[in-house]
Amino acid sequence: MAASKALNSRKTRQLPVVVERPPAAHGKIGIGLRSRHVPKITADRPALDFLEVHAENYMAQSVALDRLLELRRHYPVSLHGVGLSLGSGELLDRDHLGKFAALIGQLEPILVSDHLAWSAVGGVYLNDLLPLPYTEESLDLFCCHVDEAQEVLGRRLLVENPSSYLRYRHSTIPEASFLVEIARRTGCGILCDVNNLYVSARNFEFDPLAYLDALPQEAIGQVHLAGHHAAEDVDILIDDHGCRVAEPVWALFAEALHRYGSVPTLIEWDTNLPALEVLLDEAGHASELIDVHCSPNAA
Amino acid sequence: MSTARPTLLELQLQIRRAVLAGDVGEIPAAIEASGIDAAARLRIYRSHFLATLGEALKTTFPVVCRLVDERFFAYAAHEYSSEHPPRSRCLSEYGADFAEFIASFEPCNELPYLPDVARFEWEINATARMPEAPPLSPAALTAVLAEKAAYVSFRLQPSVRYFTSPWPVDAIWHANQRDEVLPIDLVTDEIRLEIRRAGDTVVWHRLDTASFAFRSALADNLVFAAAIAAATSVDPKFDPAAALQLFLAEGLAVDFDFSPETV
Repeated sequence: MAASKALNSRKTRQLPVVVERPPAAHGKIGIGLRSRHVPKITADRPALDFLEVHAENYMAQSVALDRLLELRRHYPVSLHGVGLSLGSGELLDRDHLGKFAALIGQLEPILVSDHLAWSAVGGVYLNDLLPLPYTEESLDLFCCHVDEAQEVLGRRLLVENPSSYLRYRHSTIPEASFLVEIARRTGCGILCDVNNLYVSARNFEFDPLAYLDALPQEAIGQVHLAGHHAAEDVDILIDDHGCRVAEPVWALFAEALHRYGSVPTLIEWDTNLPALEVLLDEAGHASELIDVHCSPNAA
Repeated sequence: MSTARPTLLELQLQIRRAVLAGDVGEIPAAIEASGIDAAARLRIYRSHFLATLGEALKTTFPVVCRLVDERFFAYAAHEYSSEHPPRSRCLSEYGADFAEFIASFEPCNELPYLPDVARFEWEINATARMPEAPPLSPAALTAVLAEKAAYVSFRLQPSVRYFTSPWPVDAIWHANQRDEVLPIDLVTDEIRLEIRRAGDTVVWHRLDTASFAFRSALADNLVFAAAIAAATSVDPKFDPAAALQLFLAEGLAVDFDFSPETV
């Protein structure tokens, strides 16, 4: 596909390297925390700079939250929302937003993020990150929702680019421009999910490097890395967080590092969960790439 | 087919129908085909919705899943999720009425105990989502019990649940934690369970009829005298002083109050 060709063609090109960026305010490598890994992480305390959790999994005063608060003594936590539904064409769920704010109070996360997507409408939660039409109407609405969320949460949000399997005919704004404009209007940051970008670029045959180029370095607050698979019945890549990061995604990550420098980077793995060591191995590889591409001596 | 551009909210309500019921309606007119038709693209989202909710239900109801096998469970979860989509964005809260659904789901009729196993697993899940509070010190009650004991009511640990079933769901649950399931005698008297959180785990045990009546009455915020009456009505030999002592020693109460008007 066009996107992968574009990526391959850039592999051999010498790119300018960002060397002046100060060290990330918070450590560089984290993994998504899954409950099955909690005992081993608690016992072994692997060298990780942060752990990331889905906010919606910890909104009750539960056993899971108590275990997380225990781990919080040893690791900074990044809080990733999957249910704010910032792109809903109706009011935000204030009850949910209140629970999110309370959790921020308990965890004092280093980062707070959610998605350029919608997931709930008419009181029903669809448990997915559905794509928006990129129009002036949805841009205005999304910015209002980000403003409200940042006000209630008392934190700067990072908004993550989605992986998409459909696009709307009436979209008038390129996704990267839409994301940049949200950041400009609301002051939020951008969470660049490199796997999502690769998946969408393959699915819609656009150049992921041009997309990376469009995002301003100063807005990038975090990078996500994860696995994907090819759908069985249609020529579409599916973001599944269920396998190792694919080689072309690592290559795209290197391109992101050249452009943005070292930012907190997360290995996400939510389905077909392997042993913790596999996630740590992926985190180790991400760390190596950061060292290679972001050290002062990197060529 | 309408060619007017839908508002964002209209579009999202249409997509909701496609995700919940597979009804794509007029949405294809709004979607770029690009070699793959819009219905196929929408099916990806519907499949994800059903698959992820099926996994969430399997996490909450693992023994139900084992009892009916994974394929049938996926089918039941598929039907349930389409008819009862989540209202909360917290998936651990999803499945509150799954037991009722199973009870009315005809293909499950051959397993009459299944709804109660689902109810039991839901209670375990709900218990794990509750906090633990510092228990009430028995000494805090010493001064007041002598004169006003009858009027005392208690606030219990938020996690405590009292559960009854005509089926031995606790034995069924334990039997299905092993690779090899041993036969279970399904004929039993009604079981009465106390379920609670204990640190990082959820624990439960059976109570005798009178103790169950006593403790579940206190859980319903009845005063001590009413709880004693409930217990002695099923067992005249019930010992209130010993029962209260044990109730407090087990840390079930977190606070107390006087409610003379309710006696």
